[in-house]
Amino acid sequence: MFAYVVKRLISGVLVVALVSMAIFLLFWYGPSSPAQTVCDRETSNRCGDRIEIYERTLGYDNPVYEEYGKFVKGVFVGRTITVASNEYECTAPCLGLSFVTKQPVKEALVDRIPATFSVAIGGAFLYLLFGIPIGVAAARRRGTLTDKALVSSFLFISSIPYYLFALLTWLYLTITFEIPFFSNTGYFSPITEGPWAWFSGLFLAWVALGIFGCTQYTRFTRGAMVEALSEDYIRTAKSKGLPTRTIVYKHGLRAALVPVVTIFGIDFGTLLAGTIFTERIFEIQGIGWWSLQAVQNRDLPVVMATALFSAVVLIISNLLVDIVYSVLDPRVRLS
Amino acid sequence: MSADTAGPETLGSLSNEPAPQDPDSQQAKEISGKSPLRIALGRLARDKVAVVCALVVLFFIVCAVFAGTISNLFGVSLDTPLASARVDGLNNNLPKPEMGPPNGPFTWDHPMGVAPRTGQDNMAYWLYGCRVSLMIATTAAIIASIVGVVVGLLSGFLGGKVDKVLSFFIDMFLTIPFLLAALTLAPILNERFNTADNYATIQKFSLVVVLSVFGWMGTARLIRGEVLSLREREFVQAARVMGMPTSRILFKELLPNLAAPIIISVSLMLPAFVALEAGLAFLGIGVTDGVSWGQMILDAATPVYFRDYPQYLWQPMIGVVALVLSLNLLGDAIRDALDPKTRR
Repeated sequence: MFAYVVKRLISGVLVVALVSMAIFLLFWYGPSSPAQTVCDRETSNRCGDRIEIYERTLGYDNPVYEEYGKFVKGVFVGRTITVASNEYECTAPCLGLSFVTKQPVKEALVDRIPATFSVAIGGAFLYLLFGIPIGVAAARRRGTLTDKALVSSFLFISSIPYYLFALLTWLYLTITFEIPFFSNTGYFSPITEGPWAWFSGLFLAWVALGIFGCTQYTRFTRGAMVEALSEDYIRTAKSKGLPTRTIVYKHGLRAALVPVVTIFGIDFGTLLAGTIFTERIFEIQGIGWWSLQAVQNRDLPVVMATALFSAVVLIISNLLVDIVYSVLDPRVRLS
Repeated sequence: MSADTAGPETLGSLSNEPAPQDPDSQQAKEISGKSPLRIALGRLARDKVAVVCALVVLFFIVCAVFAGTISNLFGVSLDTPLASARVDGLNNNLPKPEMGPPNGPFTWDHPMGVAPRTGQDNMAYWLYGCRVSLMIATTAAIIASIVGVVVGLLSGFLGGKVDKVLSFFIDMFLTIPFLLAALTLAPILNERFNTADNYATIQKFSLVVVLSVFGWMGTARLIRGEVLSLREREFVQAARVMGMPTSRILFKELLPNLAAPIIISVSLMLPAFVALEAGLAFLGIGVTDGVSWGQMILDAATPVYFRDYPQYLWQPMIGVVALVLSLNLLGDAIRDALDPKTRR
């Protein structure tokens, strides 16, 4: 077990290193010069020869390995960044300064994490809240019209691309019907702006995410439940005369939940790593929204930070899922 | 079978074996003359959902291939003479009443109306958008499955170090969040290779690259698993004993046996790529300079246009949803038809 975790962590570190190198290389050898976009914006498209100054400030006149070395050093021990004669002491883990706002990326990242995590936690909660009971209900009524109607309508919903589903939800509820509760979507801090603003701002995003995502859980729960209910121990429980409720929820669902929990773990990790479409459509200024902005602005430090953040979150969550799975199901051996 | 034929007074046949058949009978000939692919096609033809979906997909393919002819037939085209001739600048840039909905009655000059602001003809854009969507999705699916099949074959068959390295890459690409990677990669590719006049082509090209670079892992995993079990089979061992070169074993012995998983993975990849193509354009990083359903959706989803002109959003949206939905259901039906275990 311990050896397995260490092995997975090493390969995770390797992946993160490769991803960061790939991004650096892309920015260095990609477009004309990453400094160009910054320079164009700050001189209102009269960049001309001033590009050299910008390249020097942003470090693009150095070879790529030197800048990458600086970046890595910053992450582990911190470094001092000089921007236009201002020195900025960047402590480890240093992710640099944004090209656009000239603000430290690390603080901005920490500021945006609550928004993305709020979306992810609320959405994931609704996945389970809708998905599991409906799946259990469908499995108990297997073969009936209710079951068929549920399964086929959920198959239909899950075949629609998610962003179109979310877009329609937003357009109809806030634009066409102008429901006041949904009118102001976005992220509001529960502490400074009150929990109600936070709740109503995110509610629509949760519902869209939850209804779309729960279809998958209904399918999985139904499949696992059908299998579990046909096991011998369920027949034993029935013949002992246990009440149906106990049989279904205590004996059936407990066994059926193990694979569902695994998939949930992976999905939750993906949500935490950034919900770009949700944040873009509902105007929630979280990590996904930020990375979209950064890519459009060619803001290397921010792109780097968001990409590394997602990769790290995904790697850790996948590892945790595997460990939890081996705890839940003793037949699974990690090796 | 025995239960059906047994009369009420008899116990019926006790064995589960079907009655021996005359090898020259009509039924036996029918069974022996069918290849697995024919059986699968027969199953598909009997599946009503699959037939309807196939017809819908066929409709989109016809639209895509004959986009030019159909637009000529209706007298619409991609170019706009002058936006101000078609849109009303005083009314939120919505189309003038004589251009059809939302302010006027239906007109044959523009069967699907014209776009606000630019005054482009919606029908021509829809048809060419369909072409772009299918072209990008198909090309990317072909490239991604070729890469996936080759990686899967090599890593499954060769095993050892090759397998370890290739599996690491499969896992690594699976760890990278697709959207973020596409976000980073696509604009950079665009800027790198663009020279003013070919911007639209380059955007499509980089989209194909992005989709195929991050789309091959599923196929590779599937093929690898299949190969792991196939390579222990007798016919592969026989080929090895006969001294067949590895490349010949891979492509002449193993590949034909992998037809089913390859067809399945392509048929599941296509709808995903159609959806992603439009999705990336919607985020503003896919095909933004040419014709694309996602671009139309992005344009139409602004509150001002949507409130007064919802049809403008519905046209591309129905295109994407119908195409993705029917491709998805068709893919599921193909998977069921190819799987010898499902009995209907």
